[in-house]
Amino acid sequence: MQPTEKDRLRFASLADRLLPQWRTMPAASTVHVHRDMLDLILRVRPDLLEDFFRGVRASGEGDPSEAINMLYRNDHAAFNAVNLVAVAAYYMTDAVRAIIGYPGQENAPYDPHETPAYLLDGTLERVVRRGSLYRPTPQG
Amino acid sequence: MNEQAGSRAQHSRRDDVADVLVIGAGPSGAVAARYLAASGFSVVALEQGHWPDANEFPGRRREYELVAQKRWHPNPNVRDLPRDYPVDTRNSDINPLMYAAVGGSTTLYAGHWTPFLPSDFRVRTLDGIADDWPFTYEELLPCLEEIEREVGVSGLPGNPAYPPQRAFPTPPLPIGKAGRKAVEGLDKLGWHWWPGTNAIPSMPHNGLNPCVRRGTCMTGCPEGAKSTVNITFWPHAIKSGARLITGARVREIEVDSRGLATGAIYIDENGRERRQRASVVILCANGIGTPRLLLLSRSKQFPDGLANRSGLVGRRLMMHPFSAVLGVFEDALDGWRGPFGQLVESFEFYETDPKRGFLRGAKWGAMPGGGPLGVTSFVGSQIFEADEGGTVEEVWGESLHKLVERRFNHCLVYGIIGEDLPEEGNRVVLDPELTDSDGIPAPRLIYKVSENSHAMLRFHVTRCTEAVEAAGAIETVVVHQVPDTGWHLLGTCRMGADPETSVVDPWGRAHDVANLHIFDGSTFPTSGGVNPTATIMSVALRQVQHMIAERRLQEAA
Repeated sequence: MQPTEKDRLRFASLADRLLPQWRTMPAASTVHVHRDMLDLILRVRPDLLEDFFRGVRASGEGDPSEAINMLYRNDHAAFNAVNLVAVAAYYMTDAVRAIIGYPGQENAPYDPHETPAYLLDGTLERVVRRGSLYRPTPQG
Repeated sequence: MNEQAGSRAQHSRRDDVADVLVIGAGPSGAVAARYLAASGFSVVALEQGHWPDANEFPGRRREYELVAQKRWHPNPNVRDLPRDYPVDTRNSDINPLMYAAVGGSTTLYAGHWTPFLPSDFRVRTLDGIADDWPFTYEELLPCLEEIEREVGVSGLPGNPAYPPQRAFPTPPLPIGKAGRKAVEGLDKLGWHWWPGTNAIPSMPHNGLNPCVRRGTCMTGCPEGAKSTVNITFWPHAIKSGARLITGARVREIEVDSRGLATGAIYIDENGRERRQRASVVILCANGIGTPRLLLLSRSKQFPDGLANRSGLVGRRLMMHPFSAVLGVFEDALDGWRGPFGQLVESFEFYETDPKRGFLRGAKWGAMPGGGPLGVTSFVGSQIFEADEGGTVEEVWGESLHKLVERRFNHCLVYGIIGEDLPEEGNRVVLDPELTDSDGIPAPRLIYKVSENSHAMLRFHVTRCTEAVEAAGAIETVVVHQVPDTGWHLLGTCRMGADPETSVVDPWGRAHDVANLHIFDGSTFPTSGGVNPTATIMSVALRQVQHMIAERRLQEAA
């Protein structure tokens, strides 16, 4: 099932109610959640298709705020699908990730032999000095 | 159906009688197969899942957080894959989590490496409840140390929560900014903490790459840096001649007229029924799969299920009730950075103090908060919800932006694992209607979180909240008893000396069937309050070493 242009535009208008422009954050449609990201999400989460399309298509062409609130009240599964697609698409865009400072999951190599700060500043030593916590195996 | 085998087994025929049939290729099955094959036994292993493909793990992909909520969710009922069997959880407070693959559920585990403590083996003696184990911490320690060398555990020696032991094979992983934040609070309160010990090496080890802190441990490590037995044990077992058959779903263990196990019937990937004969059968299918299979293996000789004279097969299910405390801080914590994996652990309140109003205790593990979708979820499940409001715009809209601004990159999560005491009413039975994709009856769980567990978690949540507040948290969120946290499936085929009150003897051999053994966590008399993989693998090693040493005395079909 592929979204039509009408589906995309309607989804964008609903997504903007969930993720409006706010301070430095762009509105959902501004970062094109209804384009490539929508296609990607529907491809990797086919389980969302039915609820997503039911939600988008049931919302008609009227006021997006009324439509998304109607969905929220009357069809939780459809609302949850539209909401998840919108939110996931939004935070998967390069533009939004750059604003919030999220590079995505990335490698961060380190030196495993570097002495950790907690060994140098005495914090771990305080734990050791407090002594053992375990209850030994009872004898006999 | 896929097979991998060493040169000797490649020439064996499908109808050959193996010395040993291992059912399940997770941690305990891998330990059994490796040591038996190395000792000259012919070994066949049946695994319903497949070899995991690290290229399929989503951790390198943009949609990682999104697919963690479905395809890579730890709950088989959420994933709903053909290789998973469904579990009826309508009567269970906790959802069991597992994964069908070579490597088993460790494919999706966090790799917290927390062996049971001395008191965990002497619960009856020390606290007057539940049961003692038939062996002690000290007796198991050599096996633990051997397993840790193979697993490539990373950690710092000297943890005062444990007796002294051999150093870990690789240095500890960095605790990162989130770990340091956790330490700030614990240090101020004078409470125990230790840099996290993980089954995630910090250096190349036994086929594993070093961890690069990608932080996607719980959807499979695409770096090959999380220790799972498909990397660390099975290649050695296969090299020694073990034959591992994947896509093979066992539906019954067969017995002969003497009541000895003769092998198993399984369904291959093409839906064909096959039979694997063996002189000895070892079950390693986890605390739900193992009793399910025993209950499925009813016969005239064993009308209540195989090895079930005690009536305890499936009973005493323990799954570790779990709560989470999220602390939000003003400082940026690189909240998406791994390991995930515990950064820091605390055993401050692990041991019993009757004044607290409950018995036994819990371990805390501090973990990073994850990506932007992680501000409202934990391991793929929505648990930290935005405040309810009247309209979508009030709950989402600017509120969502503010929530992400406040929490993303600014939070750490404490996972609290409480000891689950055994109760016979908590159990696995066969579902009369639900089946897996091969038409085999699925398990049904009947499980209630006990009052002791609720009291324990409430106490620990209060203390843990104090710890994050002491670290300077500007917001805390508590989730009491999270449902999707049944990673640890224990206790359903209790180990003990008395055939009337246990299913297997202290060496894992079924009291009722002399050549049927169980080496997985289902044999645990008690659950401890820690992640059990270290102890599951150590106990499996203890049992298989005994089997090898006593091979001349082994009765066989």
